[in-house]
Amino acid sequence: MSAPMLMSERALRRDPRYWLARIHALPRPESGVLRIMNVCGGHERTITHAGLRQALPDYLHMIPGPGCPVCVCPEEDIHAAVALSLMDHVIVATFGDMVRVPCNAPKREPRSLQDAQARGGRVVPVASPADVLILARQNPEKKIVFFAAGFETTTAPIAALLSQPGLPDNLLLLLSARQTWPAIAHLLDSDEAGFDALIAPGHVATIMGADQWRFVAEKHALPTAVAGFTPELLLQAIHAVMAQAARNSPQLENCYPQCVTAEGNARAQCLMDAVFTIQDAPWRGIGVFAESGYACRPALAGHDARVHFPQVFNDAEARRGEMPAGCDCARVVLGRITPPQCRLYGRGCHPRNPVGPCMVSDEGACRIWWSSGAVTPTDRAMA
Amino acid sequence: MTNPVIGTATGHDEFITLAHGNGGRIMRRLIETVFVRHLGNPWLSPLSDAAILPNRLESDHDLVFTSDGVTVQPLFFPGGNIGSLAVHGTINDLAVSGAKPLYLSVNTFLEEGLPLAQLQQIIASMAEAARACDVHVVTGDTKVLPRGLCGGIYFGISGIGVRPRGLTLGSDQIQAGDAVLVSGPVGDHGIAVLLAREQFGLSGTLESDSASVLPLTQAVLDLPGLRFMRDPTRGGLATVLHEIALATGLGIQLMAEQIPIRGSVQSVCDMLGYDPLYLACEGRVVAIVAAREADEALRLWQDLPQGREARRIGTVVPDHRRVLIKNEWGGERTLQELEDDPLPRIC
Ligand code: SF4
Ligand code: SF4
Repeated sequence: MSAPMLMSERALRRDPRYWLARIHALPRPESGVLRIMNVCGGHERTITHAGLRQALPDYLHMIPGPGCPVCVCPEEDIHAAVALSLMDHVIVATFGDMVRVPCNAPKREPRSLQDAQARGGRVVPVASPADVLILARQNPEKKIVFFAAGFETTTAPIAALLSQPGLPDNLLLLLSARQTWPAIAHLLDSDEAGFDALIAPGHVATIMGADQWRFVAEKHALPTAVAGFTPELLLQAIHAVMAQAARNSPQLENCYPQCVTAEGNARAQCLMDAVFTIQDAPWRGIGVFAESGYACRPALAGHDARVHFPQVFNDAEARRGEMPAGCDCARVVLGRITPPQCRLYGRGCHPRNPVGPCMVSDEGACRIWWSSGAVTPTDRAMA
Repeated sequence: MTNPVIGTATGHDEFITLAHGNGGRIMRRLIETVFVRHLGNPWLSPLSDAAILPNRLESDHDLVFTSDGVTVQPLFFPGGNIGSLAVHGTINDLAVSGAKPLYLSVNTFLEEGLPLAQLQQIIASMAEAARACDVHVVTGDTKVLPRGLCGGIYFGISGIGVRPRGLTLGSDQIQAGDAVLVSGPVGDHGIAVLLAREQFGLSGTLESDSASVLPLTQAVLDLPGLRFMRDPTRGGLATVLHEIALATGLGIQLMAEQIPIRGSVQSVCDMLGYDPLYLACEGRVVAIVAAREADEALRLWQDLPQGREARRIGTVVPDHRRVLIKNEWGGERTLQELEDDPLPRIC
């Protein structure tokens, strides 16, 4: 008798409607609204594409936070990558989205790697670190600069690449990798965090462990849940933080135990630790967050583009903080405003002609909202 | 950069060289041992400058003529290769126009260094696909391009077919209230090719849907309520629906749970951040049918092996020019036009 009951319970939990009903059954928060931040482009995509905002009670505000590694890649690194791609003996390899991310270059200079490519720069989009290895072996006479932005999930495979024996000498890394949690720590330490509960990123936690997010619940007393990526998994986590808020008992809840453990993937962490150190690092348009960036260890200096081309990086450094006029990406990334609240959204800034990275990357909040139909600055229907 | 598909060795027998395009003996041998061998028929085999075709045009029919350029990487993928894909693509363009395809022309652009064995295989599949649809390759041309210029091989292919005169098919026939049908799961080809590239370290048993849709289109051609057919290739289902919205000024309302998508396609999409509604199909038809005949059209499709998973996925609506998709729990979003080629997400 009990087995079929169990089955149906399990099947139920896979239905978004089950979780929506349970969410609607919870009491409205005393404060009136509950602002729930996510820090993962994958989460924001599901929330927006599955139309969860319309289906959830209106007192839940789902806020996209710093969840896109492309969006936070500092402008000076883009300047450097553009300059490198225009050097004779260099090929810049990078993940697709980075090719189109603009920086604030003067009119006649290339604004993005794509622009640089049109002027003879050598840029090759890659889908994985393994592609970079092939590229390096096929072009022994060139320096292959792998321009890699990413959070922990991307950093782990890059570490695996660098740990390979017999790494070709001509493979150099321009690393713009970041840890996710310091951005949230920064928000929580500021005067106004802007959110009341956190949905923690399932992919990051798969690698780094759920415990990385414990500080949100324990130090800052905000309901926190690690979530997977399908609508029902996200709804389950939303339900979890609401229930915590209703009970007034903030804690860290792992709602993605299918993939996430408390400690994460020890092997991946070990690999990363062997090749990278953690240091203070700039986030595009926002500033430097303590201990938020990965950098190559000295033993890897031979493969570190920053060591190899000091002049390029000195020049690029000078451009730090220069942002395109009117671009509100930093505030979008921090969840301070929704994408349509940027003055440029859908007007000057459009996927065909992006002003900021958030309109380029498929993980960027502006691009996600735009691609789901929030097309004009006045179109707040999605918020 | 050397092309990994092609390798570096040369040699007249095993690899295409520039000499294969020089118009002389080596070229003639290539044409005879590859093209005529597989594709040969009474019109092609004389290798004259132009094919003289018997008039297969019935009196109350019109000619339908289409042309296509075909590239794909990798050249071989589960469920087909560039040869069968080229034939299916052209046949399908004719088929969704309501035509029965008759003749094809094939221009082949070969890259120096392409293994001859691969060429044999590609042209053999091309011949097999054509035979299965009773169409003939009646004329063609071959050029060889220097290494690095064309990713192994590509085709310029044209097709002629006939269709009954007076057939009214087109976006101008579409009316609010019409039903939107799709003949089978979407996104199979896009994902099969993606997996064949092997760059994601993913593999699977998924095959491309590359096939002629002629049986599907012919099955519903006699329905007076049939308004429009299209094969959702590049840009996928969403792109076809956008074209309809744009051309008619009407909107499309889709029901998410009705759209057939294979579990394996969906899970690869979830992993890489793709949307299956924008991925190419090579053997599906989207049809717009008057609502009263939607069930009949579905039944006709579902009776065919290729159409078993056909579904009614939505409705043409009068009030907006968007393509909207609604799911079971009330979430709704607009499907925007595709901007750039979908890229795998970074993480
Ligand atoms: S790395 Fe994974 S967890 Fe992080 S933003 Fe990207 S999809 Fe989300
Ligand atoms: S609309 Fe453009 S400029 Fe504004 S925040 Fe988004 S990406 Fe940045």
